[in-house]
Amino acid sequence: MVKIPVLFVKELRSYFYSPIAYVVLVVFLGFNGYIFALLVSALNDPRMTVEGSAMQLFFGGTIFFYLVISIAASVITMRLIAEERKSGTIEVIMTAPVTDVDLVLSKFLGALAFYLFLWMPTLLYVVVLRRYSSGIDFGPIAAGYLGTTLLGAMFLSVGLLFSSLTKNQIVAAIGSFVVITVLWTLGIFKSFVSGTVAQGIFSYLNIFEHFDSFNKGIIDTRPLVYYISATALSLFLTVKVVESHKWR
Amino acid sequence: MIDVQHLTKRYGDTLAVDDISFRVNKGETLGFLGPNGAGKTTTMRILTCFMPPSSGSATVADYDIFSHSLDVRREIGYMPENVPLYPDMRVQEFLEYRARLKGVPRKSLKKRVQDVMEKTMVADVRHRIIGQLSKGYRQRVGLSEALVHDPKVLILDEPTIGLDPNQVRQVRKLIKELGGEHTVLISTHILPEVEMTCGRVIIIDHGRIAAMDTPERLMQHIKGGTTKLTLEVRGPLPQVRAAIEKISGVAKVEGRGDGVCTLTVVVEKGRDTREDIFRTVVENRWILREMKTEEVSLEDIFVHITMHEKDA
Repeated sequence: MVKIPVLFVKELRSYFYSPIAYVVLVVFLGFNGYIFALLVSALNDPRMTVEGSAMQLFFGGTIFFYLVISIAASVITMRLIAEERKSGTIEVIMTAPVTDVDLVLSKFLGALAFYLFLWMPTLLYVVVLRRYSSGIDFGPIAAGYLGTTLLGAMFLSVGLLFSSLTKNQIVAAIGSFVVITVLWTLGIFKSFVSGTVAQGIFSYLNIFEHFDSFNKGIIDTRPLVYYISATALSLFLTVKVVESHKWR
Repeated sequence: MIDVQHLTKRYGDTLAVDDISFRVNKGETLGFLGPNGAGKTTTMRILTCFMPPSSGSATVADYDIFSHSLDVRREIGYMPENVPLYPDMRVQEFLEYRARLKGVPRKSLKKRVQDVMEKTMVADVRHRIIGQLSKGYRQRVGLSEALVHDPKVLILDEPTIGLDPNQVRQVRKLIKELGGEHTVLISTHILPEVEMTCGRVIIIDHGRIAAMDTPERLMQHIKGGTTKLTLEVRGPLPQVRAAIEKISGVAKVEGRGDGVCTLTVVVEKGRDTREDIFRTVVENRWILREMKTEEVSLEDIFVHITMHEKDA
């Protein structure tokens, strides 16, 4: 555990060595800016019948929000373990006094930190809105950021799991993108199933509903438990996969 | 310092390491010699806790590789084959990161990295990106990485592979210097390397130990006490051969050529026939152009032992 800070700093720094980080950064910002501009224009147009505030719609109000996070999470995590295994540096890491848990946790925390770094510039939207609109409500915005962080953590942990399963980064990215997409669309099945139990399950897994409540400023503990436990499960599985490499 | 007992490693049906036992004492340099695929890398990976053995046990610096894996890893410096490094990092930055990871105290960290860079002659490229370095530099960065926390045990897998002759010489010299201070285990399939750097050699073949001794004694063993001489004589071959065969102590003579003939003389155990040969040649008014004692090299031992193994 004492090694986690050392590994974490290295992981975070290594994002900025590779061009992928900058590509993700630019695309992420450009796309989000575009969506934000679109939302603000729609809200300002009297002919449109859009309800809500700009930030509410920005966080989970459109499908693009989920799509962008899915792609970002897959791309951020795809190389993490796959690359170390392919280049053989995993051998140098695993023969240093570092436990498998240290390795997985520091990679996850590094990815999460980079993910939060991606969102940081969107704080400017809040500043812009505050400057040019008739007052904004900070509560729902804070809850929106919290939801975005937790959802990101869950997606990143899935990405990390896939990165540990293969030596090929592209395979890892595709695999995690598919699973992540299934995760955030699972709630749609609520409309197609009958029976209160099934509906209850899909309602619990319905990420759109979660974000509805976050955007109202409600922090419901049920989705929190879902995101955190799913993240923990993925990380646990990743540690087991990393351990299992030794036995093959 | 390293104690290996009945180590076995299976990959599915293939037996990579088959019941190996050996010890390496403190300050000793042990060479692991064997053809490709003999089980050298597997043994090293087991000792560095990268993979567990299928059966058997081993301790490094008195820690068990299985139950005290973290302690073992603290005590060893390991350079894997092909020296995997992070190509995006700079040399000094990489070494400082590794030193921190291996628990070098913050206070002595800068100095330690500086020392190790000087020792391995990479200080001049400290700010360069590792991916842009030549193979020789990368190899030495790998070596300084293994040394950075001043480990008790150094395990180097093929440390001179892919280097040019000058770099090979430098790295060997460095390894030789490291022995004594550190306990060193190196693997190689290059024979002169072991002869030059190691106090003791293990020849490993098909996962088993084929021979284990000092290089000198291994040579003695294979010679079986006989000496071989090579002569070059100006004179008629049949007569020359007949005359030399008559000398007491000569066991066998083979020759070829005419006018100037080359002869191989096998001398009986414990006999020195060189002066008699010289006298015989001069008395017959032939000319002795060359006489030399043939050394048995590790190469011969290696071929001898690994061939022998196959016959058995």
